[in-house]
Amino acid sequence: MEAKPEVGKKEKDWEPRILAFLCRWCSYAGADLTGSSRISYPPNVRILRVPCSGRVNPLFILKALRSGMDGVLVSGCHPGDCHYTAGNYNARRKFSVLSRLLEYVGIDPRRVQFSWVSASEGDKFAKVVSQVVAEVKALGPNELFRLPDLDKKLEGQEGPHL
Amino acid sequence: MADRIRDELMAMAVRLFDEGKIDHFLGYQKGTVKFKTAPLIARSREDLEGLWVEDYFAHNLALYLKEIKGKVGILVKGCDSRSLVSLIREGQLKREDLYVVGLPCPGQIDPGKVAGVATCEPEELEEITRSGPEVWVRFKAQEKRLPKALALLDKCLDCQYPQPLIFDSLLPGEYVAPVEKTRPAEDELRKKTGPEKWSFWSEQFQRCIRCYACRNVCPACFCPRCIVEENMPQWVSPLPTGGDNFVFHLMRMMHVAGTCTSCGECERVCPMGIPLRKLNNKMADDLRELYDFVAGVDLDKPLPFRTYRQEDADDFIK
Repeated sequence: MEAKPEVGKKEKDWEPRILAFLCRWCSYAGADLTGSSRISYPPNVRILRVPCSGRVNPLFILKALRSGMDGVLVSGCHPGDCHYTAGNYNARRKFSVLSRLLEYVGIDPRRVQFSWVSASEGDKFAKVVSQVVAEVKALGPNELFRLPDLDKKLEGQEGPHL
Repeated sequence: MADRIRDELMAMAVRLFDEGKIDHFLGYQKGTVKFKTAPLIARSREDLEGLWVEDYFAHNLALYLKEIKGKVGILVKGCDSRSLVSLIREGQLKREDLYVVGLPCPGQIDPGKVAGVATCEPEELEEITRSGPEVWVRFKAQEKRLPKALALLDKCLDCQYPQPLIFDSLLPGEYVAPVEKTRPAEDELRKKTGPEKWSFWSEQFQRCIRCYACRNVCPACFCPRCIVEENMPQWVSPLPTGGDNFVFHLMRMMHVAGTCTSCGECERVCPMGIPLRKLNNKMADDLRELYDFVAGVDLDKPLPFRTYRQEDADDFIK
């Protein structure tokens, strides 16, 4: 944990990159509303639209962290509002177990966050994003998956490993 | 005692073949190394010759059912029977294709552990006998008496199901009284802080050579194609780098959640000695706590990720 990966970058310039998986029916529309209501929120999120929060495979989350994302946000419809009836209920079980497992291996739970944002909650989306960004900023850059072994040798090379 | 059980098992297996009830029989035979057993897959009654009953059965035979077609007779201990239940529940096996011979299990001896405690090489062990709560070892003309906790496989020490949960016939034999356990597994690591946990696991996973022995030996890992072998897209690099090892092991845990019975085979076969059972136990404790689900004990209860309740915990969601 000693070596900072962001070599050459000044620490104060560092801005977290957050990957947000937004459900097509609620949270994505909610994010849209945030924009059309002219509510500003930190530009650190990269939004990825998914059909349903149930579509989000735990693998996506791990892959995002592995690829150097500093945080992940998964957002879907409120319980009971899922377009596919139960997608978010099923997702909730997966994420519950995943977040406990991540906590157990020592990944700060604040790096992987979950929220329910409906299509009418533009202000909530802005609030959630600001909160996540602030928390991840406090945690610092994601150095977790850059372990001082082969990764070092591979740095700078092209390929799917980083 | 072992001889009596073996004779009874042999007679039973021969009868099953003769009556045409099974096409294969899965049991154990003597291994090539002393104090090791190997799986025995008998295709006919002639193959049964090497059938062996001992006190150090480590393998979970449920693994081989994936590749054997037809009706199979199988010898199971309590823990293995849980794997059968969970595989039946997952739709990977049919109960009617199995003839389950149950073996009440007194806990299996771990010769490696015994040798360690007796301070000799495993090859130097000459005899291991069990008497009540103790285990006698003879090595290099010495004798030692060990309490069971120092001689049995770690997983046997907190065993809650020494009696097979499903069986068609049950062999005679003693079994230890089950450990009362509704509490979480003892694990010092859980009390530590995040960075301490991370440094523990990154040290462990950095040693992983990605031989996939853990996956190959796992009865719950039944995907025809594993994500680590997918290359369009490539989710995980095949190179054994720390980060990808993390993704592989955590994903494997997520995939087997609800099917994994913490049989500990992954940890036993790991050539690098990574304590994978810690992860299994953590997963099992979480599923019990969150969804009141214990893998492999109930043929009727829906799997935790195939069902939901409206009142499931969502305190972690904003």
